[in-house]
Amino acid sequence: MYAFHLTGNFPRPDELIDVSRQLDRGRTDEKEFEENLTSSARKVITLQMTNGLDKLVDGQLSWQDIFRPFSELLDGVKAGTLRRWFDNNTFYRVPIVYDRVRRNEAPITKYYRHDLIPNRERRKAILPGPHTFAKLSENTAYASFADLVDDLAHSLADVSRELIEDGYTFLQFNEPSLCRATSQELEIAKSGFELLARNHAKIMIHTYFDTVSHIIEDLLDFPVDCIGIDLYANDINAFDQYSFSHELSCGCVDGRNSLIEPVDQIVELITKVRDAIEPSQLYVGPNCDLEFLPYTVAEKKVRLLGDVRRRLNGQ
Amino acid sequence: MVNRLFPTQEIGSLPKPPWLLSYLRGNSLDRSDLDHLEKWSYALNFESKSETLEILNQPKTNERQQRLRQLASLFGIRFLESSGLDIVYDGEANRIEMYEHAIRNANGFEFYGRVRSFDNRYYRKAACVRRVGFRVPYHLDEFRYVTEHARKEVKVPLTGPYTLAEWSFNEYYQRTRMGTRTDLRTIKEDAKRELLLDVANELLKPNIESLVQAGARWIQVDEPALATRPEDVPLFVEAFNECTRGVNCKLSVHICYSNYQSLYPHVLELKNCSQFALEFANRDSSRKSAYEQLQLMKDAGESREIGLGVIDVHVNMIEEPRIVMERILMASKFIEPLKIYVNPDCGLRTRPWDVTYSKLRNMVAGADLARKLTGA
Repeated sequence: MYAFHLTGNFPRPDELIDVSRQLDRGRTDEKEFEENLTSSARKVITLQMTNGLDKLVDGQLSWQDIFRPFSELLDGVKAGTLRRWFDNNTFYRVPIVYDRVRRNEAPITKYYRHDLIPNRERRKAILPGPHTFAKLSENTAYASFADLVDDLAHSLADVSRELIEDGYTFLQFNEPSLCRATSQELEIAKSGFELLARNHAKIMIHTYFDTVSHIIEDLLDFPVDCIGIDLYANDINAFDQYSFSHELSCGCVDGRNSLIEPVDQIVELITKVRDAIEPSQLYVGPNCDLEFLPYTVAEKKVRLLGDVRRRLNGQ
Repeated sequence: MVNRLFPTQEIGSLPKPPWLLSYLRGNSLDRSDLDHLEKWSYALNFESKSETLEILNQPKTNERQQRLRQLASLFGIRFLESSGLDIVYDGEANRIEMYEHAIRNANGFEFYGRVRSFDNRYYRKAACVRRVGFRVPYHLDEFRYVTEHARKEVKVPLTGPYTLAEWSFNEYYQRTRMGTRTDLRTIKEDAKRELLLDVANELLKPNIESLVQAGARWIQVDEPALATRPEDVPLFVEAFNECTRGVNCKLSVHICYSNYQSLYPHVLELKNCSQFALEFANRDSSRKSAYEQLQLMKDAGESREIGLGVIDVHVNMIEEPRIVMERILMASKFIEPLKIYVNPDCGLRTRPWDVTYSKLRNMVAGADLARKLTGA
């Protein structure tokens, strides 16, 4: 019934922050940075395994933001100027779409470290969803938003196929912008997910930072296996009238506050969600990336997930 | 108070002098540090160059560090005065940065580590772990030093309650509301308001009062975080009114990189604010003047002074005085000239010293041109 996972970028440990700063200043080389990156990713994976998380991510420690790897993995996209990432004091580089978007030859292994996750069936990859990608890009190449979403979906589907070949069984597409999508945009996004769903992996669409109660009926029509909802932005009572044939990912650990939630409270919330919505599978995790927290706090949040898991499993 | 049209004012931070940073970090001074001191001491007629050099050439002690910080403050004052500004401070020479300086000197907060701002840039973010409380008047010594040494009118910049609360994790107030409640969204919203009002009442208010008691005649409340959540403007208004209630000095608010229309009508309820200092130059272009927004603000009922951002602080390009003049005159079409103060968009801390100086000098020259053209 319950499965546990992380839903976004993990913060870098202090030593990796220091090495990355030194790299910027020319005081160390790529080799040292890569070594530190690998050892840090191992640490993040071990942390998840120790706490019994069911799906494992590499922490995406090399990513500067959710879109940055794709300015390298896709032709037609480059990183632009800084813009605020929703209502956070964190900024991303706007993807500039300057030409037709296509998957190129750059290897995905730089950004998806499947080699570090030993158990194939537990490998989970996180990607930007095509709607959010298009919405937050500066489009100078496509005449219509729908065409851009379509090509992004094709390109992300190509990346997904490679991920599946590398053993990933669970693909999460982050779609925070979908919370404010119009009816027409929801239709376009749905078409994009129809492309992504052709691949043989479990597909999750993850929404966060905002309420989705007004679009939940549309989301339930999306051809995805799992829907992620941020419970720090949504009241769970708003969903109990809907029949959830999908699996549900419950964002009940706050990735934007250092407070370590009481285990009892999370357990009670999950139980309430289970009883109200009765999803076929309930994933439990943070509402968003833990990257908004210092590393040591993010570690505690993962341990909290482990404690909740043990409590729910009656251990 | 300055008694002429289009007074020019600082808005916040300057870069930190490299010789100060090298000394505080325990690094040996290099040629460029000394060249910086030499060059600018000459340009600014900085009266304490010899003493500064003497300290820089001696091993670090607490006393010497403290004195060097004062000298850096004096250096900042002279820099702003020499550029011709009418209203000055010290470029926040002794503040780590606008958030951390206040929080490290308050009760109730702990720093856990670094959080990414962008790319490989990080900042230290504190958590509020106990009830917010006043510890020391954290700008008082700095203010006394500046007023003692400044030859121009002084305005004290101070980080506002909304920004301090918004940039902190909220543990204490959320925990006290949690229990076993499961309506996480409501808990978080309620806790946010509680933290904000305590920052306003328990931290900002005593700090503002201490400055006024020490003779401050003008305090600028900086609220850059207000750009993050326009829906929080009513909360900001409530907090500002709380921490400035009964305060007897001129108060202004600096906001930047926001949608100013989203501030209205709520900011009309700010009870003790006589000026809005706003960024405009960053968004000005030949196709559309940013200053036309002043008409929308006026239509919304705005009648206070405007601190007019005429210098873009994010680029090294030096605005010509003519551009500054045109921006001032454009603004004059929408608001009474008597209500216009002239300033950079925001603090200039990220620009090189040469660029900063040239920008400020040209800003002052542009204000002069505008005055001449309006016959003032």
